[in-house]
Amino acid sequence: MSLRRTWFLYLKEIAQGPKNFLFVLSLVMPLLLTLLFSLIFSSTISGKAGIGIVDEGTSKLTELTAQNQSVLVHTYDDVATLKKAIERGSLDVGLVLPAGFDDHLVAGKQTLIDFYVWGESKLKNRTIASAAIVNAMREIAGQKISLNIEQVILGKGSNVPWEKRLLPLVVLMSIVLAGVLIPASSLVTEKAKHTLIVLSVSPTTMLEVFISKGLLGITVSIITGLLTLFLNRAFGSQPGLLMLTLILGAMLSSVIGVIIGIFVKDINSLFATIKGIGILLYAPSIVYMFPVIPAWIGQIFPTYYIIQPVLEITQNNAGFKDIAFQLAILAGLILIGFFIIWQLSRKRAETLVPV
Amino acid sequence: MNIRMIFALVRKDISLYFKNKFFGLGTILALAAYLGIFFLMPKTVNEKISLGFYAPSFPDTVWDQYNSEEVTLLHYSSLEALKQAVTDDKASVGFVFPDDFLQKMYSGEQTNAQIYIKSDLPDEYRQAYTLVLEEITQQLAGHSLNITTNEVVIGTDMAGMQIPPRNRMLPNLAILILMVETMGLAALISSEVESGTLRALLVTRLRPAGLFISKGITGVVMAFTQVLLLLVITGGLQQKPGLIMTALLLGSILITGISFLVASLARDVMSVIAWGMIAMIVLAIPSFNVMLPGLTTDWIKIIPSYYLIDVLNKVFNYGMGWQTATTNLLVLLGLSILFFIGGMVAIRRKI
Repeated sequence: MSLRRTWFLYLKEIAQGPKNFLFVLSLVMPLLLTLLFSLIFSSTISGKAGIGIVDEGTSKLTELTAQNQSVLVHTYDDVATLKKAIERGSLDVGLVLPAGFDDHLVAGKQTLIDFYVWGESKLKNRTIASAAIVNAMREIAGQKISLNIEQVILGKGSNVPWEKRLLPLVVLMSIVLAGVLIPASSLVTEKAKHTLIVLSVSPTTMLEVFISKGLLGITVSIITGLLTLFLNRAFGSQPGLLMLTLILGAMLSSVIGVIIGIFVKDINSLFATIKGIGILLYAPSIVYMFPVIPAWIGQIFPTYYIIQPVLEITQNNAGFKDIAFQLAILAGLILIGFFIIWQLSRKRAETLVPV
Repeated sequence: MNIRMIFALVRKDISLYFKNKFFGLGTILALAAYLGIFFLMPKTVNEKISLGFYAPSFPDTVWDQYNSEEVTLLHYSSLEALKQAVTDDKASVGFVFPDDFLQKMYSGEQTNAQIYIKSDLPDEYRQAYTLVLEEITQQLAGHSLNITTNEVVIGTDMAGMQIPPRNRMLPNLAILILMVETMGLAALISSEVESGTLRALLVTRLRPAGLFISKGITGVVMAFTQVLLLLVITGGLQQKPGLIMTALLLGSILITGISFLVASLARDVMSVIAWGMIAMIVLAIPSFNVMLPGLTTDWIKIIPSYYLIDVLNKVFNYGMGWQTATTNLLVLLGLSILFFIGGMVAIRRKI
């Protein structure tokens, strides 16, 4: 095996790569997903009850309710817009405050307010929204109680918000998508164009070809992994260890990609394969999403040993000792994969390429 | 139009599809994955608040006014029992009132109370339960607000019968299968255009319309069968199967038309994926609205898949019948015909 030839093949891959749509897709997709998830989970699935208010006067209620961290308050200019927002499910409840509402409240005069409830709003959200509104009303009315509330926390578990549960999926996608798709699609394209056969009559060995394609997958995989962690502000305090883990994760992904590329005949079959095994690659992140699934199930899948150390470093500030076992398994999987590739590369190019 | 030739082509395409082990295995694995996702998602919605109390000095009658549809009050005879109930999720939170609570409150003195919260409770709920405790104390103190509310429920009141996440997911999974098959069919057509077999078929007795109808039937059969299998296994066909199957059939025709358009735009299989991804993202937007109501406004109705997703969602989750679905089905029928013919014309021009 010639390192010089492998290097030149790698440079060729870098030059040709961006012309491939899958290259762009694997680079852009994790970033798009990060933006999409942060957009959705910043407000839509905040778990907070949504309250809409139409104020026909100048009540302080809107401001006081908005100060409450357990609800989200939106204001509307007219009742029709408020009702439309409730109808489509943007709000749990809505209320219309008549002119002079605060004065009536302070004076204890009877006041009628229109209160709209979205039919699909959970009972929990209705109760919380109502409590927040009534709390603000009591403040305006000057009804105070001298109550000291002490919170006592039971148990050691922690609440994992959805944006955190989805982080493993996005990080894993960013590492695995590029690592698997780039070498696999590059090999399949070369098969379709019969260029592998041409290479086989040159001094270049199949192993050099496979390594150069794998190297491009590793490079892009590391870049997208780092970018995704950066966008999610999840770098942790051990950049060196994180880099080592990302390199190993990218290597395993690329090894899988090269093996898929060797076996798959054409681009249609490649997509059918990705469609079918995609779930196996991303399975560990699904285990993170649903804590009811026993954690050991995730450990069955090879990609668990990519994402778990990354999460340990970025979320729990783990050191090398904490993740050494997982990294050792990861390295073992890479070696097994490389051995398979080496064995396959010993076949003649023609047997890999159906003519 | 030669019916025998059309069905011979359909048989050939489907058998080729399954002869390719990657295609066959990939399709089965993907279907298994969709089913896995469905069965992993929660099948119930916990929407009620269960408040646990340990208030030994309170007379039982105090609590009668707080039991409601939204709130269940649970009394515990000891602090340990209350803590255990919170830890075991039997009570959302636990409120503890000391023996002298009422006495101090009525005399206007500073009073104390404790909230026992499980550590995994989200922050917004911790604050919300503090509000609930304050409100209970206000009411115990006899503070009232002279307000009358005119309460109007907008839409069907689903209190106590909320749609579980897996049921909201079901129409989306059905659409996802259809969309993935769009790319599959577009890739199949594109590769036939590339290899010249479509043009070769046109010099036979088969007319262009017959050729495209055969491809269309292949696409519809592939997509429709998988969705049907998904719905049979998940129990999605228990309600109004005729209506669901009609909507899915129209949806499959629409998707086939879109895949023709994608294939006509693409130069090769790789650009099928590029155009297919764009089509998939656009067609998937209405499904977000089913999972997360309130995410979008009326503009979503310009996306053709809206009419299919809306029918499936309303039949699965709201028990909608033929009468209410007619408008959506008619629009879907119109769009399906439009896209199918448009796609056929576009691809005919290409070859």
